[in-house]
Formats: sequence, structure tokens, C-alpha cells
Amino acid sequence: MAMRAPAAWAVAVVAAVIGGMIGAGGVAVQTVVVPWQMGELLPLSDAVAADAPRVEAIETTHLFGTIGTGTTGSHRFEIRNTGGRPLSLTRGTSSCSCTVSDFETTEGGTPDASKVVPPGERTFVTVKWRGKPPGGAFHQQVTVLTDDPRRPEVVFVVEGTVVPTWRSAPESIALDQLTTSMGRKASAAIFTYGEAPPQVTGIAIDGPDAEKFFALATAPLPAEDIAAQPGATGGFRIDVEIKSGLPIGPLRRTITATFMMPDEVVADVPLEGTVGGDLVIAGPGWDTSRQSLVLGTVSGRSGFRRRIFLTAKGPHRELVSLVVREVVPHSLEVTVGPGAAVGDGGVMRFPIDLVIQPGSRAVNHLCSEQGPAGRIVFDTGHPDSPSLAIPVCVAIGP
Amino acid sequence: MFTSFLRIVPILSAFTLAGMATAATMPDRGDGVAGAVVETFEERNGEVFTDWPKPRAVLVLTGELDGYIEPCGCTGKENQKGGLSRRQNFLRALNAAGWDVVPIDLGGQVKRFGRQTESKFQSIVDGLRGMHYVAVGFGPGDLRLPAEELVAGVAAIGDEPTPFVSANVGLLGLDANITPRFRVIKAGGLTIGITTILGDAEAAKIRNDDIEVVPAAEALAAVVTELTKAKCDHQVLLSWAGPDETKALAARFPQFDIVATAGGGDEPPRELPVLPSGARLVELGHKGMFAVAIGFFGGESQPMRSQRVPLDARWGEADDMIALLATYQQKLETLGLAGLGLVPIRHPSGRRFAGSKACAECHEEAYEVWESSGHAKALTTLEEARPRRDSDPECLSCHVVGWAPQRFEPFEGGFAGVEKTPHLAHQGCENCHGPAAAHTAVERGDVRATEAERDRLRDEIKLSLATPEGKQKAVNNCLECHDLDNSPKFDFDEYWPAVEH
Repeated sequence: MAMRAPAAWAVAVVAAVIGGMIGAGGVAVQTVVVPWQMGELLPLSDAVAADAPRVEAIETTHLFGTIGTGTTGSHRFEIRNTGGRPLSLTRGTSSCSCTVSDFETTEGGTPDASKVVPPGERTFVTVKWRGKPPGGAFHQQVTVLTDDPRRPEVVFVVEGTVVPTWRSAPESIALDQLTTSMGRKASAAIFTYGEAPPQVTGIAIDGPDAEKFFALATAPLPAEDIAAQPGATGGFRIDVEIKSGLPIGPLRRTITATFMMPDEVVADVPLEGTVGGDLVIAGPGWDTSRQSLVLGTVSGRSGFRRRIFLTAKGPHRELVSLVVREVVPHSLEVTVGPGAAVGDGGVMRFPIDLVIQPGSRAVNHLCSEQGPAGRIVFDTGHPDSPSLAIPVCVAIGP
Repeated sequence: MFTSFLRIVPILSAFTLAGMATAATMPDRGDGVAGAVVETFEERNGEVFTDWPKPRAVLVLTGELDGYIEPCGCTGKENQKGGLSRRQNFLRALNAAGWDVVPIDLGGQVKRFGRQTESKFQSIVDGLRGMHYVAVGFGPGDLRLPAEELVAGVAAIGDEPTPFVSANVGLLGLDANITPRFRVIKAGGLTIGITTILGDAEAAKIRNDDIEVVPAAEALAAVVTELTKAKCDHQVLLSWAGPDETKALAARFPQFDIVATAGGGDEPPRELPVLPSGARLVELGHKGMFAVAIGFFGGESQPMRSQRVPLDARWGEADDMIALLATYQQKLETLGLAGLGLVPIRHPSGRRFAGSKACAECHEEAYEVWESSGHAKALTTLEEARPRRDSDPECLSCHVVGWAPQRFEPFEGGFAGVEKTPHLAHQGCENCHGPAAAHTAVERGDVRATEAERDRLRDEIKLSLATPEGKQKAVNNCLECHDLDNSPKFDFDEYWPAVEH
């Protein structure tokens, strides 16, 4: 079913006409807003004079393929006027990274930011793309504004991939979930773009205790994996096993693979993540940097409620059972809800409800000299961490 | 009437806004944003809301911020688009015009990993709360953050509900109910139902047991039932999935009349394509450079309009978001490089840095060229920025000597603060030529070396433009910092004369 929207095109035509009358036709066309109607819009043929300018672009998308870092690709798009009157073109916006030439009548002609193309003639716009770091896929648009009421703008698209000598997929090995008690395995593919396939000569990881906590290996990549990467001519896989026992905190290491292709190339692949404990607090107010629950100053008159969570991971998660042993300040009521498995059961979740009843007396535990930190102490049932103390920064005001 | 409402606001007294019930007044645009600036950016990036009457309500869609809490100012912030500060002022401009504004976000606040990204995520979420977002989805970068960071930022704070919404992603499990599956809001007398999903292809990449994700279609089947019960005038799906997956979901759930997708072009199209389901497909571009506004109007002839809004310098800076950025920078300063988990990495050459002044002992003329260039003031620009950025690794990496620009990490022996390593401040000689500590030590006679060793050390730090290979190597060095984001107009042949030596 076609739903016609004559009003939409009426606006467009009126805009163009008035725009022309006030000497700002290009701007007027640019700012036409086509009203939104669900369904199919009215074809313009019955609303536009037969001899109006008519823009035709045979090709509006160009696939650059792969471009090396530091090199430039360019493509000329052709625009024809197949209408009966001169066609006015104005350069519209472009993605910031594209270089767009002005219009040319013929190759090498004098460029201009706007152009009038007589009926039956053509012009060109050249889009250049510079391959810049960090590389990867690009998809950019260049807009040319026209006074063809059927097609007030033509969008040209350039697509491709910027490739360096080599590329790691993923760019860095990010470990979403690491605990000190559980090991993990991860890998990254190194794709190369030279003429010769890579010959791996070494692999290492930096930082202290590298051999204690990490095991590294490389393996060839299947030909179909390489073929699936645009422009890639070779590659290999890096496998890393992260052993248990890493200290809690941020983890940032660099895996360095050395290979010949035929000159020596050194590929650094970051390995990053956060090593957590088996027992982790999560919730609003939990400050991971300070490892403290920061509740701030709460009103003693109106009281306070908040829910936070404790999560248990690792091989002993099923043993965890939270019991509140101590709370400071005493007016902070702490209740632990039943544990529940998250998703596939790799994590146990315990809700912890914090309540300060209205009318509670003023206290200061804002984790300062005047107000030493409060605390919540749990018995956990975890064999390695049977007790868990959480510093609490809170003051109860009037 | 073809005058942009946003252009006429600075000279409001001269005009009356057709169709607007309330005269618009701009919020404080910050320093230096005059009418001429607005006009300049209208010319460069297009006018907005031309000839719009006052809508009953306006949805403002954003997303794919990718960590760009602000545009980099390296080549003049006015040349770049995006940032929370401009977004806030844009929203305020609509509010000041009396429009009923509904800000919603596809998600994808961050893209990288580590303590800085975690800190940035919290600041961005604070910003979204400050902009009164009513629905925010999750992108895959967001869900790579540790659960304790995610929950701390996302969960409701007392009576303040979370702005996050997801039909199929549950932090600490869907039944933890940390975020609602959908949200129904009233605006301008309209009932608008909004939900978000993470596409199945992206969900398959999430390896985080703290997060439960169910198939998008399964989750949406349950949500649309609820939205139907709520008798929504409009239903909005924010889909973090590629366009093909999003279109398939739109076809399967034609109840949604507005569907936003991830993975489109770098900038949103000027007009919204219509999907076979009748829904309008919204792309948001990348790096938060644009917002897309959809106005709802009464009547049959023009029920809705859309406007792509470039978040450029015409909007000025919002003081509250600048304060938020300052707090973020203070956090980075407090954490320091060690607190951010930045362990210096080995330089590919294995060599150490000497500092630019050491080069000046012999290469006097080259040093004078450098000293009068912008490179010699690189760190100063961060110190004098508002707020200062000299503790931000993402900025420092191109403003000091001895960092890996694209990794935002220091090399061993690289800049470690102005107190510890003042000789490595600014964008110095060794960032192009390579670490020169051994070379300078030999030339000074501090260490003994054979003539061959001395020559080898000299050769190691030579860059020659005489051969294509040499020039390519030099260009690639420049591109490490003069990259797509920070120096979009960089062209070696045009820039080189300013620093030729």
C-alpha cells in the first residue's frame, strides 16, 4: 500500500523557490526537512517540472579496499545533469577525515566549491582518503547538495580498510574476568600485510614473574582466517595461558612477538585486565580505588536505603555463605539476602541491603581524621578468606 | 521562514520564533561563543531545526561515544565535534526553547580497558545523569569493565533511578534487577516506550560471568508485550548490533517505529531511512560527534521530523560538564601513573631517552627550530588547558618524550612527571629520531666507544627524507600523533616546513 505525502514535496519545492528568491538557494535546499510519513513517499514526477535539473550519479559508493598506513587513496565520482535546466551543485559536509576536492568540469579543470552544470554535461568530485593510525575499517560520507528537487543531496560513500605492516586482532588481549584463584587462556591473531609470510623467531612477555604466571606459544593461522582479513597475506596466532596466583589489581603486560618478513618486525600486543579477588563488592558507592563503601552524609531525619552486592567467584564460590558479624556505626542495619547464581553459575550473587532508619542519631565515620571509617564485617565461609571487612565512609547528619 | 532558530537566538530580540510557544533563550555558551561563531559553524556543518515549529516532544538520540568524553583539542578544539559539554548545552538550548526533551543513548560510552577507562566511564555516567537521560543502553566496551565498576556507576542511587535500560543484559544476572528491561515515559502528552538490546553477535564476545545476556529476540518478545500494554504512542528500540542484525530485529518487531543501530557510518545520514517495517532507522555516527533529534508533532501531515545535530563549537561549553571533566582529570592526577596501572613498557629499540636539551649540545640549529615550534610547547598546552590535562595519559602520550602514542603508555625511561623527568617534557627530538641516551653519552665522552660503535649509534637515530623509504618512515612517525582524531588535516608536505631542520 502506498501512502502519499504530497505535503512533503510541496515543502521541498517551496523551500527551493523561496531560497532562490532570497539568493540563498543552496542553503534553502540544504535545510529542507522532509516531513516524516510512514509508508512510501510520493514519487516526485508529478510535482516537478519536466525540464527541471536532474542529478545523476552512476556510482555513489567506492570500495577502496586496503590502504597502507601513511598512503593516500583517491576516487573521482562523476555527477551528470540529465535534466533540462542547469544543475547547481554545492559542496556539503564531509566526514572530518576525508579530503574532498572541489568540482571539476574535466580532469585538471579549475576546481570550485560550487558548480553549475549545464544540461547534458558532467562534473567530478574527488574524494581522497589518507591511511592513518590506528587503522581498521573506515566508512566515510561526502555530501553534495543539489537544486534537483527530486534529489536535494547526493551522498557519496567511501569504504575500505587501513592496514599497517601487521595488525593484531583483537588489538589488545583484554581479560574481562580474572581472579587470583583461577587461571585463564586467551589468544590473539597477528595478521601481516607484507609480500613474505611471517617467520616467528621469538615470543616473550614483560614484567616481573613472567614465567611464573604466563605461558606463551604461537601457532600458524588457518589459511581461511587469513583470507577473511582484507589485504592480509599471512599471520600467526599467539596463545597465552594466565596461571592462578596473580596479585590483585590492574594487570598490564606486553606480549612481544618477533618475526621476519623478511626484515625483522617486532609486534607488541598489550595484555590487560583487572585481577580481582574471589569475593568482590559491587554497588553504588563502592569505590574500587579505595576499596571502601562511600555513602557520604545521609539525613538522620529521613533515613537511608541502598542495595549493594557481594559476588563470589572461583572454585569455592558454592561454599560462600554471608553472615554479618559486626557493623559500625550500629545504626547502619545490614541484611544479607539469599545467594543466587548469575547466568551459567560462574558467579554467586548476594544482595546486601543497607538501611539507616529515620531518627537515627548523628555520627561521623567519613573516613577522615575527625571521623574514622566505619566497617561491616562478614563471616564468609570461604576457606581462603573466612572474614571480609568493608570500610564504610558515612556520616549521619540531622 | 528559513532562518535557523539557533542562529537567531543570540540576536533574539530582532526575531520572533514562528511556531514556538516560548521565546528561546540560550544557556551560557561559555567563553568566546558569539553569534559569528555560531554562523561559522552553521556554514561549516549545516544549520539545524530550520523552520521547525515547536514539537510536542523531541527525542534526542546519542550513542557510540567510544570514550570521547571531549574532543581532543590538539588541532584546535573548535575544529572538532563532540563532547559531553557541548551536548549538555545543546540539550539546554532545546529546553530553553520550551521543548519537552527526552534524551536517550544507545550506549558504548567507552571502548578501551583499564583504570583510566573505568574512571572515565564513571565520569561519563555522572554526565549522563546530569543531562537527565531517561534511557541508556550498553555497548560491548561498557560490558568489558569489571562488574564492580559497572554496577557502581549504573545502579540506582537511593531514590534516583538508573538511567540504564536493557531488555537482554543483566548486571549480576537479569533477576538482580539492577536495570529495568524497558522504560515508559510521558513527554508532551505522548507515551513513549523505550528499550535497548545488545545484539547476539556482540553478546557472543562478552566473556564476563558477572553479566547475563539472553538472546535479543527472546528478550524483546517479552518487552513488546509490556509496551503494548502501556499503549505507547511511540516505541523506540536502541539496538547495539550491526545494521543487518538491527534491521532483522526491526522486521521481527514492527511495533518499534524508531530503531537506532550501532555500526553505521562515521556520521549519521542527513535523513532517516525507512525500513520495510515502517520504522525509521537511526545511525548516530561515532565518537559522540552528533546527536539525532526526532520531533513529534501533532496532526497527520507532519507527524515527525528528524534533525542531525553536529555537536560543534556553536554550542559552547557547559560549566557543569567542564567541572565534571575537571573532576575526572583530578581523579587521574590522584591515581597517578602507577594507580592507573601504567607500567612502563620496553621501547622497541631497547634504548633510553636523553631529553631534547642533550641534543642541543651539538645540533644547535635544529634545536632552535624545534624550540620555536609548537612541539616545544606541547606539555604547556596541557597544563594551561581548562581543565588541565597534564595527568591524562591519553593526552600526555603525544605531548611528552618517551611514550607510545597509540597505546597511551610510557616507555621505560620515558616521561614520568615534570618533577621526576623535566628534561622529557614536550614533544621532543627523540619521539621521531628514537631514544638517544647512548648516542649522547658517547658523543660527550661519558662512555668509551669504538668509532664503529659511535657511527652505529649515530645511524640509529638518523631520519632521512632523501629516499622514499626514509620519508615513509618519517611520515609514519608523525602519524603516530597526527592521527585521524587529533590531526585530521595533517599532510606531511604541508606541515614539514614549519619544523624543517
